[in-house]
Amino acid sequence: MAGSDSERLLALLGNSGGGLEVVRRICELCVTELAVSGAGVSVMGGPLTEGSQILLHATDDVGVKLEDLQLTVGEGPSVDAYNSAGPVIVPDLEVEHGRWPVFAPGAAGFGVAAVCSFPLQVGAARLGVLNLHRTTSGPLTRKRLSGAFALAEAATVALLDDVEASHGTTLLGQGDVHNAVHQATGIVTVQLGVSVHDALLRIRAHAYAHQLTLNEVGRQIVGNELHLQTEE
Amino acid sequence: MPEIPHDSASAPVGTTTAAHHEQLLARTLVALADTLVDDFDVADFLRTLVEQCLHLMEVSAAGVVLTDPDGRLRMAAASSERAGLLETLAVQADDGPCIECVRTGRPVLSTDLHRDASRWPRFVAAADAAGFRAAQAIPMRLRRQVIGALTLFNTDPVPEDPDRTALAQALADVATIGLLQHRAIDRGDILTEQLQTALNSRVIIEQAKGVLSARSGDPDMEHAFSALRGYARAHNRRLADVSRDVADGTADIRAIIAYAARSHP
Repeated sequence: MAGSDSERLLALLGNSGGGLEVVRRICELCVTELAVSGAGVSVMGGPLTEGSQILLHATDDVGVKLEDLQLTVGEGPSVDAYNSAGPVIVPDLEVEHGRWPVFAPGAAGFGVAAVCSFPLQVGAARLGVLNLHRTTSGPLTRKRLSGAFALAEAATVALLDDVEASHGTTLLGQGDVHNAVHQATGIVTVQLGVSVHDALLRIRAHAYAHQLTLNEVGRQIVGNELHLQTEE
Repeated sequence: MPEIPHDSASAPVGTTTAAHHEQLLARTLVALADTLVDDFDVADFLRTLVEQCLHLMEVSAAGVVLTDPDGRLRMAAASSERAGLLETLAVQADDGPCIECVRTGRPVLSTDLHRDASRWPRFVAAADAAGFRAAQAIPMRLRRQVIGALTLFNTDPVPEDPDRTALAQALADVATIGLLQHRAIDRGDILTEQLQTALNSRVIIEQAKGVLSARSGDPDMEHAFSALRGYARAHNRRLADVSRDVADGTADIRAIIAYAARSHP
């Protein structure tokens, strides 16, 4: 019967508690049940490059790096899934160099061969994305694809439930890997006398030019090890 | 929602041709499925449902009871004043086919209400006074979730008619999906806005910490946060609002930094 695998996945998800615990469990189920190498969930308050996003959870370091890379270069599956409000399914990253000239080779450098990104949304309202990546190329089977849709839906419900909770949202109180980037953005506005938007652009440009993660650049600025120059 | 042209409205029930009937049904189903329009109105939507029941089936009146988001049952729409009053009474008395239908999630038919006087004493008495002799309640249900019931009334006893039951269930099903979809989107819109506000506040607080740290020359972000919080409390303002002013460059930075000194002498 159609959907029975989705139901099985949702049964496995069961009553995983609330907030971040559900998101973590959803990511784990993606790895164990959908045969991907890693999974992650980001909440986004707007387009990725505006910088108002939080990586809630990633099952592995590659997931963190992929999200960081996309935030740095402003392209990739999360960006497209969020902007198009539709799933982005790339069974073979090798053939997408035209679509993402910087992200595709960068991701390949982390050993990633296939990526998927599913928007977390209700109607026209978008909350974030569920990202999957795999070290081998090849399509997701129909069964696994429908499983991914079911888990993306479950993540959406978890986010909505969390916001609706009487005690207020707990998810956003969690540590964000990009805290240092946001703090560094504030520092750079003062140091260079530029707007928040331009400060983030400068940080992204520095990360890209020096092949560093955005987080590393943020950490260096916060740690006073790096001063972005006016003429960079 | 798109208007359904009811050129058959003036024709007596039962005289429409089969082809016309089918067209009307198709248009009704499309109208009921179309809840994604900007000016969607639940009352208009349910009025379409009950009015089209009169055009599509041999019934004298139709009504809808619906659970509101708090789980309470309410009369939501009726094709006539009398039917509306009867449905309201059924909800208040917790008695009648629509109540039983919502409770069980199954269709409930009384071909002759006089025979069911002991089953629903208060409802049958009120139905009698309103001039109705038969009632059929159809569940508005999606999987296990029952959100209400569509009730069809006749002024005379009616025989059981599987075709009518199937048609009424189809209308109720489409209407249910439309309503649930609309409720989900409504909820999603509000919660998404809250989530994005919370998210943006969080980002802005971090940025403000960076600004304060750079302006004060104190690299400890905890101190910057204490300053923000201390200033916000002392001025009875929200942390996120003070942070936004700091990030925008419109806040009195010196005054805020002074609060860091107070909490960390």
